[in-house]
Amino acid sequence: MQQVQEQNRDVTQGQYVPVGSADYSAVLTFLYEEAALLDQLRLSEWGECLATDLIYTAPLRHTRLGVDHAKSFVRSVMHFHDDYRSIMGRILRLSGQSAWAEDPPSRTRRLITNVLIRETANPNEFDVTSYQLLTRSRFSDHNVDVISCERRDLIRREADGSFKLARREALLDQSVIGTPNLAVFL
Amino acid sequence: MLTKSSPVLSDGTKISELIYPETREVQMRVLSDPEIYELEMEKIFGRTWVMLGHESEIPEPNDFMVRDMGSDSVIVARDKDGEIHVTLNVCPHRGMRVALTDCGNATIHKCIYHGWAFRPNGDFIGSPVKRECMHGTILEESELGLKKARSVSYGGLIFATWNIEGPSFDEFLGDAKWYYDMLFLRSDKGMEVLGPPQRFIVNANWKTAGEQSAADGFHTLTLHRWLGEVGNYSKKGPAEEESDEPDLTPEMYGVEVSSPHGHALRCIDLARKIRRLTGLEPDELTIQEKLDALPPAGMTKDMVAQLANNLSEDQLKVLTSMPPQVGGMFPNILFGFVYIPQPDGSVVGSMTMHTYIPRGPNKLEFCNWIFAEKDAPEELREKMLKQTIQLFGTSGMVEQDDSDTWPHMTLAAKGAMGRHMTMKYQAIYETGKPEGWPGPGIVNEGFTKDDTQWHWWLYWNELMNAE
Repeated sequence: MQQVQEQNRDVTQGQYVPVGSADYSAVLTFLYEEAALLDQLRLSEWGECLATDLIYTAPLRHTRLGVDHAKSFVRSVMHFHDDYRSIMGRILRLSGQSAWAEDPPSRTRRLITNVLIRETANPNEFDVTSYQLLTRSRFSDHNVDVISCERRDLIRREADGSFKLARREALLDQSVIGTPNLAVFL
Repeated sequence: MLTKSSPVLSDGTKISELIYPETREVQMRVLSDPEIYELEMEKIFGRTWVMLGHESEIPEPNDFMVRDMGSDSVIVARDKDGEIHVTLNVCPHRGMRVALTDCGNATIHKCIYHGWAFRPNGDFIGSPVKRECMHGTILEESELGLKKARSVSYGGLIFATWNIEGPSFDEFLGDAKWYYDMLFLRSDKGMEVLGPPQRFIVNANWKTAGEQSAADGFHTLTLHRWLGEVGNYSKKGPAEEESDEPDLTPEMYGVEVSSPHGHALRCIDLARKIRRLTGLEPDELTIQEKLDALPPAGMTKDMVAQLANNLSEDQLKVLTSMPPQVGGMFPNILFGFVYIPQPDGSVVGSMTMHTYIPRGPNKLEFCNWIFAEKDAPEELREKMLKQTIQLFGTSGMVEQDDSDTWPHMTLAAKGAMGRHMTMKYQAIYETGKPEGWPGPGIVNEGFTKDDTQWHWWLYWNELMNAE
């Protein structure tokens, strides 16, 4: 079975962008704003945060022995395997009148923490890892779905100083996902 | 109190009273009652053939994967000689789970608790400290292996049953096999998975999904109407048809095959697609011309020559006019071999299968496999992989919309009034087989109806009331 190669990311990691520095704060703000747009159902505006060369994936997780930890991430079949065009298609669908999965919408809360930012070879591109706890509640069910993941992003600063998401790989923590679909974005 | 036959629930209701044959209704209590659930684990999942995965997931000797037959975990392993074995993942010693990972490769499966060791086929090898014989002498070593299921491979799909002396897999499929062969045995090399299955939980009784796959056509028009509004079936230019309704209605016409064993196939009329792709009437085209214009979903023009090696002339006739595209296999399987319209007017196939694994009366695990033909070129495989992930399964834009219906039904079935409401299968065919239809089985033509699903419930009822 083929394995989708992790996108041409330079494996040697760049220097940390120090916590609290101007660049760190700017990228962190972008992540907080992104989470707010999604939690507030402002999907079109979220779409504007995405680079046109976006690759957006979420590998499967397997239970494997510690010696095989790398194999616990499966990148052949994945839960998400999208590009800019397909994400725009999803936004179009969710903005329509018949996307029942999210109509009534889920009430979500995206908690973003543990943000570590590294430089890349391009001074305007950053390797950003963050932890996300996404809580999701639908209808009158008092049991809240909890979806945790680590996001490995490539975030790009545009000429006008704004940021765009160019790559996201969401590493979920469950081998069996505990929410009935991923109609919400990670 | 559940007696062995004609089961009676603890309030005195007979299971057979929950199905109303005269009016084609099924009481919703079947979706919530815990006693019924436990009985299903024995009488349905403990008896029929259950799909576990595909051989291409465990290609090498000693590869194994861990899957579920109803409420039981099983090890599906390929031995050193290439044979597949399905064994209960429960140590005969003290009941510990033996294979702890989702998959891997092991010549020996050793239980971590007391070290009992088993071969991939389940045979007991021994316990540690051989001279001390920790497994004792009351039982023969041949009785100390993992419990073995009976398994078969069909087009690479691995099925297993605990009903060792029961009907063969072919007998289980019955007349439906003639149609399934057109999907799973159509090519020379067959199909393979593109990866392991997606797995996620839906808080609903497994039968809400099982009966829908067997095979609810109507809901496509309404629950999945986004397809016609902004999705792959939306009209891009001025309306081609008189109606302003989403362009999904044509997909409702064809032939539906019902089965006394609850299998179901929706064979959808290809005429409109062939007309659009060739500009010609399908009747004016030969089978070969039709295959060239519109190869079966997931096949390329280069591959269609293989069909004649594997299918009969009659099967080719059906394949090029009303091919089986979506449906189910009893009890909890969905298949989809569908054409997805592309923006440029072409179609790309998606080959997907699901199982809905019972995880309690109110919970199911949705397991989604994505396939391609082994001979499919890389470019097509990549397209099919992405498309199928985007439309089906965890983040699938089509199947997202199924995620609320099943839980709502299950919740309603818990209500004091709700559990006595019924699911109705009263849209009944009056047409029968089309003229000259060469295939076997219970066949009806026209706009989709409820007959296939009704037969699913009839078989459920038969098994629940069997010895």
